[in-house]
Amino acid sequence: MPSTQPLRRTTTEGDVQIEGDVQTDDAVETKKPWNVIVWNDPVTPMTVVVVIFRKIFGYSNNKCTQLMMAVHHEGRALVWSGHRERAESYCVKLQVAGLQSTIEQDA
Amino acid sequence: MAGSKIFTRRRDGRVEVRMNDYGRSVVRSAFANVLAAERDPEHEWHVSLSGPIDPSLDHDNPISMLARQTETSTNAELASLTVDEQFLNDAEAWVWLTTLQVALRSTAQTNGLLTDEQLGAADDEMLSYVRTIQSLLFELAACF
Repeated sequence: MPSTQPLRRTTTEGDVQIEGDVQTDDAVETKKPWNVIVWNDPVTPMTVVVVIFRKIFGYSNNKCTQLMMAVHHEGRALVWSGHRERAESYCVKLQVAGLQSTIEQDA
Repeated sequence: MAGSKIFTRRRDGRVEVRMNDYGRSVVRSAFANVLAAERDPEHEWHVSLSGPIDPSLDHDNPISMLARQTETSTNAELASLTVDEQFLNDAEAWVWLTTLQVALRSTAQTNGLLTDEQLGAADDEMLSYVRTIQSLLFELAACF
């Protein structure tokens, strides 16, 4: 749950003393986007991956090809980033289309 | 040679399927297995169809899991219903593609074909099956 707790904290920035409310790590955590990751496998034809990306995300052919090559060479690729609900929805669509996909929160 | 293509996108938008009895039996079996695996937790492909959405959690969002299960089953049902058709509309061709891809990846996962080396070491029968599904997918993908 997001929280902004009033903390009295004194820090120095150069010669200036700053004192006031500080956001906790929890509050920052909720603002991080969720990433949809597609994982490589040795059997899926490359053209199939491109077609699925184009159909699900509506990306250009060039972008889909770049993402497919990233999956192929790096073992995984970040294909979409944003709100958690949409990330889950895209992940499900990719899995239904037969690609290995997961979501993770941005580090 | 254009005449030997298994899947051809026609001018009216439909996808024509020119497949012999063996080809039809392969795709029929693949579609039936996906449908059975989605419904039967004991099916050997079931695990590959129910992989985690968010691996950092013990349990995924049940709504997302239900959506995945429903969509996969619906696709496999429509693919099975149209397996003997000579012409497919766009939606039917899409469910053929996705269901064949699900079958291919499930086959690979179930048989431990997770790397190029493992795939290369697979027996001839398994390799032949994988290559058959891959070639069907390759041709069908060219229609989109």
